[in-house]
Amino acid sequence: MDENVIKVENLVKYFDGRCVLDGINLNVPRGCIYGLLGRNGSGKTTIIRILLGLEPPTRGQTFLLDTESTELSAKVHGRIGYVAEGHNLIQNYRVGRLIKLCKDLSLQWNDGFFNHLIETFRLPTDRRVKELSIGMRAQLNLSLAMAIDPELLILDDPTLGMDTVVRRHFLELAIELIAQQGRTILFCSHILGDVERIADRIGILAAGKLVVDCPLEELKERVKKLRVIFPESAPANLHLKEIINQQNHGREMVITVANWNQQKQAILDTFKPSSCTEIPMSLEDIFIECTKPNPIPLPAEEQET
Amino acid sequence: MFALIKREIEDHIAYFIGAAAFSAVFIIMSISVIHRYQPRHGPPVFSILLGVPAVTIVIFGICAMGATQMYLDRTRKISALLSTLAVSRNRILLARIITGILAILILLVPLTIAAGILVRLFTPPIPMYPGMVFEISVVVFLMAVACYCIGLQIGWNSNALTPSLGAIFLPCILVSLILIKGFGVHIVVILVLFIVASLIRTWHTFMKTSL
Repeated sequence: MDENVIKVENLVKYFDGRCVLDGINLNVPRGCIYGLLGRNGSGKTTIIRILLGLEPPTRGQTFLLDTESTELSAKVHGRIGYVAEGHNLIQNYRVGRLIKLCKDLSLQWNDGFFNHLIETFRLPTDRRVKELSIGMRAQLNLSLAMAIDPELLILDDPTLGMDTVVRRHFLELAIELIAQQGRTILFCSHILGDVERIADRIGILAAGKLVVDCPLEELKERVKKLRVIFPESAPANLHLKEIINQQNHGREMVITVANWNQQKQAILDTFKPSSCTEIPMSLEDIFIECTKPNPIPLPAEEQET
Repeated sequence: MFALIKREIEDHIAYFIGAAAFSAVFIIMSISVIHRYQPRHGPPVFSILLGVPAVTIVIFGICAMGATQMYLDRTRKISALLSTLAVSRNRILLARIITGILAILILLVPLTIAAGILVRLFTPPIPMYPGMVFEISVVVFLMAVACYCIGLQIGWNSNALTPSLGAIFLPCILVSLILIKGFGVHIVVILVLFIVASLIRTWHTFMKTSL
């Protein structure tokens, strides 16, 4: 059995002649909480839909739980929990009927946990899905996905529409429970604080490419933002590779560099800066830097400079 | 599979009620008309007056059921949800087709039984041979399934107007074919081939399309 629960090999997807995904390679090991990030329209949902067999790829292959996505059997689907962006629930069904349908079509159903979630979220089972607020729909969708005790949980912007309290509560509850049991989660969200709190590994999509794919801690280590003060005016070119962003203001230079290492530090030192201080970067800062035009790739393997 | 069939029936219960009601009304009307006029010489006017609207309603009703099933699936993203549960697309489509055939049977089985009884009770207006009711029933059933298959395709391709309009004329062509060829083996073969081709096309489209 492969250790990678999710495998994406050279995935290419075109929509009406427009390249959305351009040769994506991605592996998510068992037990990992993978945060897949990207701006709107960067292809996060498309990757997930291709993984689940809802969308055919133009080229390349994707695998979920050792099965190719285009050939996912009912049994494999039964081991995957999925919360779709926009919460694809049957709108005209009553909540109770939808729950029964999902229960009947599941391989296993954790009644205790599901009822606990329904009570926690105070979801009314007698109302139609379309009468629920967006937040309640999100909660229902999440509860349904969690109730099957999924081996792999795919969450496409799951907390969209939830208020802060419910979002925090849900994340704590869900992630704790699933992570404790060594389950794998693929998690897309625009709320980077949530991702930062729970993800082990980060992937960032930009311009159809996976520009970042590494553990969160490593990402924070590898991307550095430095404030450098020079004795005279800051040089226009530091001759450093992989500069993501550079801003000069007189003697001050603020640079964001990918794959920061001793070699790069030595090159910087040759310019004899008066001071060099590191500016702490949150995941949000890194995300913004990495999704600028012409991003520097930060794949899983360490790159040589 | 049972849960999927149950869901389809519940979602399209109106068609099942409609089929049963239509079947009952048609049988009652036939009995009352036959009882009143006791037809003996040649096909009477009432068979045309009853038959033509009945065939039209049945054809377009069944066609509409297939179209509704597929159209609602697309617009409500039902398969998009179901196929993320422990269900394959094959099963979703199979359950849908079984449901359609069940509706057709609810419509046609009482009619066939009633026709068989009426033929025994009253002298038919046209000469009958043994097994004729069965032969006619088989052709009518296949015709209904063919119309249902056309409906499935119309429902799935509802964004494209031209193929949908073209598909609406197909049942008329099939009816004309029956009128020309009669209820023999030839028409059975043609209808079976048509159904198989339609189902393969529907299956292929359903399996390959984005949900």
